[in-house]
This record gives sequence, C-alpha cells and structure tokens, in this order.
Amino acid sequence: MTEHVVARPSVAERRPRRPGTRRSSRVGLVVLGAVLAVGALATSFPFLWMVTSSFKPPREAVASPPTLLPSSPSLDAYVRLFTELDFTRYLLNTLAVVAIGGVGLVFMAMAGYGFAKFRFRGRGGLFLMVLMTLMIPVQVTMIPTYLILNRLQLTNTLVGIAAPTLVSAFGIFLFRQFMATIPDELLEAARLDGAGEGRLFLTIVLPLSKPILAVQAVLTFIAGWNSFLWPLIIASDQDKYTLSVALSLLNQQITVNPTLQMAGASLMVVPIVAVFILFQKHIVQGFTMSGLK
Amino acid sequence: MTGDGGAGGSLLGSTAVLHRRRAGVPAGQPVGRRPARRSRLARVRRAAVPYGFIAPALLLLALFGLLPIVVAAGVSLTDLDIGGLGHPDTIRVIGLDNYRRLFEDAAFWRSIQTTGLFVGLGVPVIITVSLAVAVGLNASRSRFFRALRAFYFLPAITAIVAIALIWGYLYNSQFGLFNQLLGAVGLEPVAWLSQPGTARVAVALVAVWRATGLNIIIFLAALQSIPPEYHEAAALDGAGRWTTFWRVTFPLLRFALFFVTVTTLIGWLQFFDEPYVLTRGGPVGATTSVSLFIFKNGFSLNQFGYASAGSMVLFVIIASVTVLQLRLARGTDD
Amino acid sequence: MRRTTSTLRLGVAAAATALVLAACGNSGSTPGAADATDAGSSEAPTLSVWVMGDSGANLEAAVKPFTEKTGIAVDVEAIPWDSVNDRLTTAVASGKGPDVTQIGLSQLASFMDGGALEDISGKIADYPNLASANFPSAVSAENLNPDGGVYSVPWVSDTRVLFYRSDILAQAGFAAPPATWDELRTTAKALAGRGEGQFGYYIPQWDAPLPVTYTWQTGTDVMKDGKIDLDTDGFRAAVDHYLAFYQDGSVPTASDFDQTTGFISGAAPMLVSGPYLANAIKEQAPDLDGKWSVSPVPTDSKGTSLFAGSNLGVWAGSKNVDASLQLINFLAGPATQVAWYKANGELPAVTAAFDDPALADDPLVAVYAKQLQDSKPLPISTAWDAANAAILETLNAIALTGADKAQSLDALNQTIEEINAR
Repeated sequence: MTEHVVARPSVAERRPRRPGTRRSSRVGLVVLGAVLAVGALATSFPFLWMVTSSFKPPREAVASPPTLLPSSPSLDAYVRLFTELDFTRYLLNTLAVVAIGGVGLVFMAMAGYGFAKFRFRGRGGLFLMVLMTLMIPVQVTMIPTYLILNRLQLTNTLVGIAAPTLVSAFGIFLFRQFMATIPDELLEAARLDGAGEGRLFLTIVLPLSKPILAVQAVLTFIAGWNSFLWPLIIASDQDKYTLSVALSLLNQQITVNPTLQMAGASLMVVPIVAVFILFQKHIVQGFTMSGLK
Repeated sequence: MTGDGGAGGSLLGSTAVLHRRRAGVPAGQPVGRRPARRSRLARVRRAAVPYGFIAPALLLLALFGLLPIVVAAGVSLTDLDIGGLGHPDTIRVIGLDNYRRLFEDAAFWRSIQTTGLFVGLGVPVIITVSLAVAVGLNASRSRFFRALRAFYFLPAITAIVAIALIWGYLYNSQFGLFNQLLGAVGLEPVAWLSQPGTARVAVALVAVWRATGLNIIIFLAALQSIPPEYHEAAALDGAGRWTTFWRVTFPLLRFALFFVTVTTLIGWLQFFDEPYVLTRGGPVGATTSVSLFIFKNGFSLNQFGYASAGSMVLFVIIASVTVLQLRLARGTDD
Repeated sequence: MRRTTSTLRLGVAAAATALVLAACGNSGSTPGAADATDAGSSEAPTLSVWVMGDSGANLEAAVKPFTEKTGIAVDVEAIPWDSVNDRLTTAVASGKGPDVTQIGLSQLASFMDGGALEDISGKIADYPNLASANFPSAVSAENLNPDGGVYSVPWVSDTRVLFYRSDILAQAGFAAPPATWDELRTTAKALAGRGEGQFGYYIPQWDAPLPVTYTWQTGTDVMKDGKIDLDTDGFRAAVDHYLAFYQDGSVPTASDFDQTTGFISGAAPMLVSGPYLANAIKEQAPDLDGKWSVSPVPTDSKGTSLFAGSNLGVWAGSKNVDASLQLINFLAGPATQVAWYKANGELPAVTAAFDDPALADDPLVAVYAKQLQDSKPLPISTAWDAANAAILETLNAIALTGADKAQSLDALNQTIEEINAR
C-alpha cells in the first residue's frame, strides 16, 4: 500500500507549499519540544538526583521528606572514596579492560565484513551460531567459562577479565548490516589494483565503517566500563579489580552508606556521559547507515 | 512493504541489503572474476579468506558462548553441587531427574508465568515509547532537539548498581520521593515494591526506563535514513500527519522494528537485573523471573545440576520464540 | 597467500596487543596458593588472604606487626559480601584459592562441603591462641565441625540483641525494655498505636535467622539427629509469635523498610539487630545519643539469640599451611582482637578480649557479651540454606498475602522432607 505513494517520481521538484504551514508547524514544534524536554527531564531525573545526593551528608540522603538539593553540600563522600579505596588503581584497570575491548571491536568488524562481503561454505550455519549465543542465559555459563579461562591460564589477568565479553553477536550483526552497504565495485576496484585482502580491510573497509565503529566503540566502552561479573571472578588479586567491583565492596552486609554509594556511582557514570556526548553524532549516524531502516 | 522502487540515493545501500536478503543471494562475492586461469592453490587460498576474517570472533564466541552451553547441557544430567565441584568423583549422573523435578516445581511454573507477564508488559511498552520519542526527536534537527537525545540515553549507560540504589530510594515506602510527591497532592502512599502487583509494575518500569535509550537511538537512525521527499509526497497527496506516519514512515521502519523486537524480546525473556537488585524476586516471589529462579535455586544454593536444567529449558524457550519471530517476519516479507 | 596471511597477521597483531596489555596489567602480581613459595624453603612466603566486605585496608594495617615479626608477607584481597558465593564456587572448581580465607558462619557448610578448607586438627595444638577453650562454647570445634576434624577457627563474633528507643518507650510509659515475648508483643502494640506510619517493632522480611532464634527461645532445636525438623510444638509457637506482630499491626508490611532509617526516625522504635546497626546509628545520627540502647533479646522459656560472625580457615592444598596458621594464631591473639575491634568495629571471638577496658567499659558491648553467652550459630549443613529460604517464604506468604497457615506449614514440612532426602 505504500509504494504508490512512495514510488511517485518527481516528488522532489514539487517542493513549495511551505510558507502557509510554517506558523502552525512552528507552534507544533515548540509544543513538541516542550513535551520532549519534560520527558527528558523525567528520564534523567533519577540520574540527576543521584549526583545531588552524593553531596549530601548520609542522614540527609535518606531524610524524610527528601531534599532535592543538598542543604550543606559536602565532598566528604568523594574524599572517602579516594582515601579508603585505591580508586586510581581501579580506574586504570577499568581503562585497560576497555582498551582490550578495542581488540574485540576489531574482531567483530572483521567478522561482520566476512559475513557481509563473502560467499562461503557454512556461512548461514555459522551466522546462526553467532545469533544463538545471544540466547544463552549468562548465569549458567559462568562456571564452565571460568574453567575454560582457567585451562587457558588466563585467570587473574586483565585479558581473562575481558575475554568472555570481548565479542558479541549483537555487534557482529550490526557490523554485517553496515558493511553490506559498502559498494562491491569499490572493493573490486581495489582488488584489481592488487590490494591484498588484509590491506583492503584496513585501508578501505575500516575507514568507510567509521560510523558503525563509533557506535560499537561506545557500546564496548559502556560494557567494559560497567563490567562486574568477570572482573570479580577472574581477578584473584584485588589489584585487578575494576571500578564496579570496587564499588560493591562498599556494600556492607546489612547497612549501607547511601552518600558514599551515590558518590561512587556518580563518579563511574560521568566519564561515560562524556564519551557519549563526544560521539553522539556518530552514534545515530552509525545506526542510520547500518541498514536498520 | 514490497517495492522499494522509490529508493533515493541515501537509501541505496540499505535497500540493496534488503533485496539481497529477500532473494537469498549472499552479498558481495566479487563479480567478473573467472577463476579459470588461477591455480588450484590460489583458489584454496582465496576460499580461505572469509574464514580468516570471521575466525577470531567465532573462536571467541564458540569458546565463551557455545562451549559453556554444551557443558551446561551435560551438567544438567548430573547432581553436581558444591561438594561435587570439590570432589569430582562424587558426581552422579541422574539422567533427566533434574528436569522431572523442575517440571514438578510449582515455583518454576510460577516464574514462567511471571516472565510471560513481564514480556507482555515490557516489550510493547518499550517499543511504543521508544518509537514515539524517536519520532518526536526526529521532528527537528535543531541543536535543542539534538541535545535532548543525551538525556534519554542517560539511563542506558548507568551501571545497574547505581540504578538499584537510585530507584530503591525513589520507591522506598518510608522516605521515597514518589510517596512524598503523592502525599503532596493528597494521595495515599503506594507500597511500590511491597505489593505483588505494584512491585511487578515498578520493576518493569525501571527496566523500560533503562532499555528505551538504545532503542530510541536505533529508531532515530532508521527515521533519519528515510528521505524527506517521501513525507512531502504524502503531504502533497493530502495525507495528514497521522496517515503519513502509518502509511509511509511505519512501513519503512519495518526492519528496525523487527530488530528491536527480537533483541527486546530476548532481553525480557532473560529478565534478571532489575528484579534481582530491587526486590530479590519478592515480595513473596511475585517478581521472580525464570532467570532469577535459576539463579536463586541453583547458584545461591549451589545446586548446579538443577540450575543447568532450568537454563536449558529457558534456552529452548528463547530459541523457539526467536525462530517463530523469524518465521513470521519472513512470512510477511513476501 | 599474501591475502590470507595478512588477514591472519591482523588477527595475530590484535591478539598480541591484547597480550601486551595483559602483561602490563599482570606485572608484579602475587598469585594465590597455587604459585606461592613452598613453606619448607628458606625464603618467607607471601600469604594471600581473602577478607569479606570493605575491611581490606584495615586488615592490611592490622597484619603489619605480623609481617615485621615473622617476615611473612600478607597479600589481602577484599571480596564483596554479595559475591562470596561466586568466588567460592569458581575457586573450588579450579582449585585456585587463597592461603587463608575469612568464612562467614552461614557459609561455613558450603566451604567445607566443597572441600575448600584444610583439616588443621593435627597441627592446631602448636598454636596456643587457637585452642577451643579460648572461644565461646557455641563455636567450639565440635559444634563447628559436625563431621570431625577442625576446618576453621573463630575470628570475629556477632550476635543479635534488642535495640530500643528509650525516649519513645518512656513517653509511652515503659520504663524498661520488654524482657519477655508477651511484654514485647504488648509494648509493640502500644507503640504502634502512636499513629499512622508508626510501628512498635520491625521484622526484616529477609531475616532468615529470626524465626530460628524464636524456635530456640522456646527451648526447641530445629535439627534432630542431623536432619532438619520443624514438625515441633516449639517451631509452631515460634511461628505464632512471628505472625502475632503482623496480626497486631505492630510491624511494617513494606518489604523495603529500612531499619536504620526506621529506628532513627522512630517509626520502628524496637527491633532485633546486630552491632552493625549501633555503628550505623552512631555515624548517621550522633544526636540520638542517649535516646536509645540495647538489651538481651526477649525470652520465652529461653533467651537464646543468633551467634553470627566469621571464622578463618586454611585453603585446602595451600603450600603454606604453617605460615597460614601462624597468621591465624596472630589474628586470634587477644591483643590483636582488641585492636581489630577498635579499627573495624567487629566484636572479638576470643572471650578474653572482652576484658580489655576498650570493650569492658562500653555498656553496649557489655550487652553483646552477655548475649553471646546465650547464642547459637545456625545449623552447619548445606541443606540448611534451602530450608531456611523455604521457612522465610512460608512465613512471609502467611503474614503478607494471607495464605492459610495450616496448609502452608504442611507444605513447608513436605518441602523440608524433600530437602532432608536430597
């Protein structure tokens, strides 16, 4: 039913008819903007509240009635975080895990390219296998995965921490979708020029894939940054803990210090927000071009 | 949607993908290359190229994705517990006993019901909300609208530990902000996490809140890949905004919708994080999903055999639902 | 050929990058028992130690004198309480554990069942601080090791006492805290009558030991001949006592009621909790000083409370058993125990440490010490966790969703039978 609307040619030329609707659509846009802004505030409110709470004294954080802004802001919680926990170390570990995640990014890009641009035996079956890994509940694979890493002598290493989540089916799928849009002619021309497959991938495919790489980089960053289970289990040495594991050390069996936890959580989230804002244009663009329409 | 005849320049790539998929033609084996004059060896090497590209990722997936599930399948046939881990010689193979016990366990059936409820509640809401917000955000490319995106994405990037904390405090029945707000407008306080019914809604709400961000981005991207000419054409035909959306935009979003539905559905079938951190499956088991059931009965109590059996059942459920979806999608494609 | 190899090279390069990164992260690490130096060699070993929660930094400070004296270095690793089970499981599965580990009493059975702990009964005689007589009888070697042997020794102790707001009780005309079940019930009911949102008592819906201590207070045990037994008058009386507070409307029904906040605000002016609550009140509401206190738990025919706390054990297969025992012996010394209380706020497990002025002069500690004389740990049995979960679920279902009591208890006993048979 759409095609007779869609397939109509010469649409682009018949453009005018703007001025008449401009005023009403402007008003509509302002209303829409207001509604969306309210929604955005509501959505981000819990987050903002976390940040303001981290500056409250512990008692005020659970005061009744609650206060929105701290009555006497204090940095105590942050000072405690840095003095009582070796936060710098955990930060470096987290960054290392994120960096290793970058290797996974390359692997996923390679796999996406392989699935998108080559015809080979077992392709369908192998891709199905990739998708199958999406459906496996994490809890059950914990012990077997640990034993495999142990056999590979990777326990208590940062590689071991990153390995189980290094590649994701979701990522491979998105890379495949995106890379399928790269014109074959381009690749063929390069091949005729005598470019090797590896060079082709590095010099043509990867640069063309910047948008999807940006998306995946952000997703990988978020995943690595928030990773909890594997750092906890694989690190048999506190020196290898990541931020989120260190944060859970603050959890006492029964009582918690709300301010301290809010401060830790805020501290963890700020860098991701920065990364997101930095990459946000590319993110939407990356999804746009990955054929997800 | 059948004809993408109107594919504009920017759409070229993605429609090409759709075409190929539909025709069942694999993408991109280089054209115009006759292997006739190449040596056999060269042909073997050439055939090896794609495997070289996919090998590292597939190896990792096989190692950490598939091998563990095979192990789990084996474990589900034993009585493995913590004692068995320490002394492997004491592990007994008990055949299908774990499965038998599972199917007789009323709590397991209850967790399946609960999961079904969460899926029925969460999936449509997430899709509707994120699509609506994406359409709204797509209405203008102004700086203001672009800045709003970041706010909607915030929940998606916050660690679950922090989410548990914040929402725990918002919902709290003593000092929670929500009840204070209700009180301020003269309403009775709500026992957000303490009544089975409201607890389910409350937990689902957090999951929706957390999941919309990424889906909004995906929908937004899909919307932006639709050339504005389509909408202008519809407008010229005298179609209202509503009609244009349903007749033009919505059909063009089919693949994004499909993608979001599949991933969201899988996510909700594995629903775990939010009830685990907010209610631990309570009150009185009302928010115990299948994943949480497996975790509680299996791993908290170290009955690994039993837990593995539960995981295998969940795996089969997820796989069947996904295959069904793929079938349905393919069915409507023609 | 070139194409394939360059693709491969890319993969190899990526892998190499990963390895280099890993090597950087790995430098200077001290792995666990598996790699540790043999105790027999002349060089002093490095012990790896697992400690739970956020006390890692405190422990590092506490063992400094030990390292100075013996030359044995100690590498402390803190493990979040929530994740102890994950760590235990994977360590048991791989055989890679620390040398010394803290074990929460509630997890002792799992550790022993998994074969994670070394039997030290043959060596313990050489370490005077580890003699069973130094510890309360509730955690004597026989009680903690039902199958014989000695797999762990007590380190810190913890018990449950009645916390009460003396100011609120006085206002309502109660000069003293309730000492018996009946008094507790009437006081709670009276205090709950203060108005909307005010309660008299608090029952944490996740508090598994509570119904067990109630059963003990009737003079009944929950184990009989190594099997769990809840088909007793004592257990039924405990259930009635538990449910009575709900029937009276004396306790909050909200599952997320926060005991610290509730106690400080006065919404729940009485509750049974541990020393950690005292620490939280002092930290969060110093102005409440003098308006609250603690007393032994109200009694039925007995005043038995829960003995919680943690033990220390040597990991099975550790190559540094002797050095590990030296460390444990050091940590169990009365002076170290007092220092640990001062630094970390955890009560000593060694009875003699309570005589130190730092503890003896504290009126709260006096109550804890008295209650510890009449406290018991939960049954040391892997079946117990499942049973306790079932008890809690049954009681909550009756109290909160109005499930039929007789039917629910019948179903509970059936579940217990299944658990016993497993």
